Amino acid sequence: MKSPLSFFGNSAAADAQRIRQLQALTLFKELTARELRELEELLHERSYEKDEIIFDEGDAGLGLFVVMSGRVKVSSSHAALQRLGPEFGPGDYFGELALFDEAPRTARAVALEPTQILALFRKEFFLLLERDRGIGVKILFELSRTVCLRSRKLVLQEQHLPTV
Amino acid sequence: MSSESSPGVLTWLATVVATCLLLFFFQKILWLVVPCLLALVLYYCLRPLMQALVRAGLKHRAAARVVAGILFLATVLAVVLLLPAVASHAADWKAIMLNYLQGGLDFAKRTEELLVQKLGLLHRSFLGSPEMKLDAISEKFADNYLGSFLLQMMHWLPSLLLMPYLTYFLLQDGNRFKKQLIRGVPNAFFEKTLLLVDRIDRSLQNFFVGLMKLTVLDTVCLALGLWLLGISFPLLLGLIAAVFAWVPYVGSIAGCLLVVLVAATDFPTQPGITYGCILLFLGVRMLDDFVFLPLTVGRSLRIHPVTSVLMLFLGAAVAGPIGLVLVLPVWGVVALVTEMLGQIFTDPRLIKRFRQAKQLRMRLADTT
Repeated sequence: MKSPLSFFGNSAAADAQRIRQLQALTLFKELTARELRELEELLHERSYEKDEIIFDEGDAGLGLFVVMSGRVKVSSSHAALQRLGPEFGPGDYFGELALFDEAPRTARAVALEPTQILALFRKEFFLLLERDRGIGVKILFELSRTVCLRSRKLVLQEQHLPTV
Repeated sequence: MSSESSPGVLTWLATVVATCLLLFFFQKILWLVVPCLLALVLYYCLRPLMQALVRAGLKHRAAARVVAGILFLATVLAVVLLLPAVASHAADWKAIMLNYLQGGLDFAKRTEELLVQKLGLLHRSFLGSPEMKLDAISEKFADNYLGSFLLQMMHWLPSLLLMPYLTYFLLQDGNRFKKQLIRGVPNAFFEKTLLLVDRIDRSLQNFFVGLMKLTVLDTVCLALGLWLLGISFPLLLGLIAAVFAWVPYVGSIAGCLLVVLVAATDFPTQPGITYGCILLFLGVRMLDDFVFLPLTVGRSLRIHPVTSVLMLFLGAAVAGPIGLVLVLPVWGVVALVTEMLGQIFTDPRLIKRFRQAKQLRMRLADTT
């Protein structure tokens, strides 16, 4: 039965393409097609122009962002982050700390070129954790790995963030 | 960083005006509002079941279909079983209703006489002759009430059959609908909007699911009490009274009156049982306020009791009985929206970011 709201959705080909795109992202690489479809329901796609602010230092952090295309520069008034001045490209994700606590953002993220981003909202992620722990565990494991690597790099004052 | 300050006078006024306008609008399209609202209630009540099916391994769509299928079957069964019974007993209703009305009026008359006799405070009858009034109602009942009541039921039937259909699409496409709604929001306000939608979703879920739990608890308590008092149809009466209580304050009184009518008719010579029913209602009311409400509905809509009462009057004035039922959930949602809009439009950082993004897009449009 075709849903009257199906105009909101995509065709089968577009759906398959979308799942392939998501599977290519490091954060979701362990997820099966069925799990990606579940997750896709919760992801919000946003487009940013060059120099557009994605979030600002001091904003209430509500979720993480995954770069689909384009580049994002992160700058901060905090010395350690200022020195690193990280950039994120396709497949990278940032703002992950907002998934774990409600503290204000510690940096500003700006699009360096026209950028497509997927946002995962903390509260929706928690719902997903309640609903399907399998998906949650896979994402959380990947997130923990990245947080560990980034913390190590920050402590060691290395100039480049690891490939994520 | 956004500071979550309490709403100002302007926000409060905007909430009142928007609530009144919405109620006025809803009253005009009641045939659509009622099934949508019931579908929303069912959606929030059935969503946990659907999520459990998804956890059990069913796909999202399949789970939505299973849940909607059960709901549709239940609705069809209810209509098929209840409609003929209701239609065949329509004529008996007149006698039953008049019998209970007579019982209630007799009880009131006896209480009045007792007060005059014991206290000597009342020197004239406030009730007049109950028999004369009932005769007048009885004569006009079939012409004025019964026909139009049955017509109203037939008129509402297709509209109510829309309810499981709407529930199915809410279960299946609710998330997608939410995403599409958020997609239209400018980037600067995106995260705030996500927060707003989430708050509305949670408030409505807590309110509707809480209301259903409260109805079950009220029904059980009232039915048990009425059964112990020996009143006929305790479960049915308890359920009707619990559903009446959906309209705050006024509904509880209406439910109590209904049970008083039944008790006064079933036990005309034992006024103690009728007083017992009144005491039972007062007891359940107190249980509601101090135990059940905090456990179920809680502070899901964050409405102060004084505001609730004022809004009930306003709701009734704007949209009549339906206003009484809808005013609190509508107020709760509108208050969340206006509060969040107030925070967005008074946050200079967000406004600045929005303008910057607009300028960037304008510049881009100029260059291409």
